[in-house]
Amino acid sequence: MAFQVHQPESVEAAIRLAGAFGPDARFLAGGTDLIIQINRKRCAPQHLIALGGIRGLCGIEAGADAIVLGALTTHKAIERSPVFAGPLAALAEAARVVGGHQIRNIATIGGNVANASPAADLLPPLLALDASVSLAGGRGTRRLPLAQFLHGPGATDRRDDELLTSIVFARPPQRSATAFIKAGRRRAMEISIVCVAALLQLDADGSCRTVRIALGAVGPTATRAPQAEQALRGCEPTPAALQEAGRLAAAGCAPISDVRASAEYRRMLVQALVPRALQRCLQRIEAYGR
Amino acid sequence: MNTIPLQLQVNGEAHDVLVEPHWTLLHVLRQQLGLTGTKENCLEAECGVCTVLLDGKAVNACILLAVQCRGRTIMTIEGLGRPGRLHPLQQAFIEHGAAQCGYCIPGMLLTAKSYLDEHPGEVPDPAAVREAIAGTLCRCTGYQKIVDAIRAAATRMREPA
Repeated sequence: MAFQVHQPESVEAAIRLAGAFGPDARFLAGGTDLIIQINRKRCAPQHLIALGGIRGLCGIEAGADAIVLGALTTHKAIERSPVFAGPLAALAEAARVVGGHQIRNIATIGGNVANASPAADLLPPLLALDASVSLAGGRGTRRLPLAQFLHGPGATDRRDDELLTSIVFARPPQRSATAFIKAGRRRAMEISIVCVAALLQLDADGSCRTVRIALGAVGPTATRAPQAEQALRGCEPTPAALQEAGRLAAAGCAPISDVRASAEYRRMLVQALVPRALQRCLQRIEAYGR
Repeated sequence: MNTIPLQLQVNGEAHDVLVEPHWTLLHVLRQQLGLTGTKENCLEAECGVCTVLLDGKAVNACILLAVQCRGRTIMTIEGLGRPGRLHPLQQAFIEHGAAQCGYCIPGMLLTAKSYLDEHPGEVPDPAAVREAIAGTLCRCTGYQKIVDAIRAAATRMREPA
């Protein structure tokens, strides 16, 4: 292991360093994934640009219309924030099941998103919330939908000189709720075999108005389940309709078999967990309405 | 190798050290500062024996670069209590026989302290304690006495001093 560490104090300085070192550099946030990858010799960056000294990259800004999460916001901060009680619960539910407390105290949302692991637990709830990512780079800043940011396992739209600075999403609409469910072999310290997030909004007549279903660990990136969403939109959320959404989500995903589970088992989990997540949304909408 | 001068605040004392960029906090604590109460095992943040408090919060020292600790405060097991003035968690571990083989216990105590400090005035139920210590593994005996001790300490810490 031979790398240099740089500790810039501004986003501009971090971007300049990243531009100068190009692919030889990696940004270091919590480091809970990167340091292990370096130790395992899966990557060998010559320069680490540590972000911890940059002010203003950390924190949860809850506005009337939108929520902005600084890239260095920890999983623990999300898990403990009152912002994520109520209709935004899915994100806290996902943050709470990542690693142990030691990891969650230091691992950041920016790291989880920029790493683009197919099994990253925060990605499905962020997709269900229709989140966008903000990037700052040598050529200026830009914002793009998370779904477009994620290209494949470990691959994103980020250029070498771009820093992911924040994640933003709109507050969920009236009469809506979110839920997140993770399947692993034990309840803590697990990489997801499958994870599912859902956002459901009901119309005044009780039919489904907005439906967003997102799946993790069943494809090269976390993705939405468009066929399942479309089938449910405009329909009454009967148990049969939720089951059908589960069936369509399972049919539409592309899992692989690996050390954690077979592709077949992953599809079975998707089929079972999508209706369960939607059902949880329904229960929550009813609970919030009272 | 280029070394970096760094001041670390450990257990209330400032230490000036010269570190190599890739050195972890665990390496510096054990090899430079001689604080061997923090144990070294999996080196991948799976087992929790290297747990220390960074600004009061439990973290795995094995995957934290020392340079990431610039300007932050660190507590190791050596800073938790003193002979004759034990922390309530240490006292409860002794009373409940929870120290067991001892190897995971420095990390276990600091994991528990971090959780109890995050939930002041609460006595977590056994399931909550087990979740709190999920990142710190015991491989010699089991968790029952540890869970009992943490709950007893939480009860004691709730009482006015």
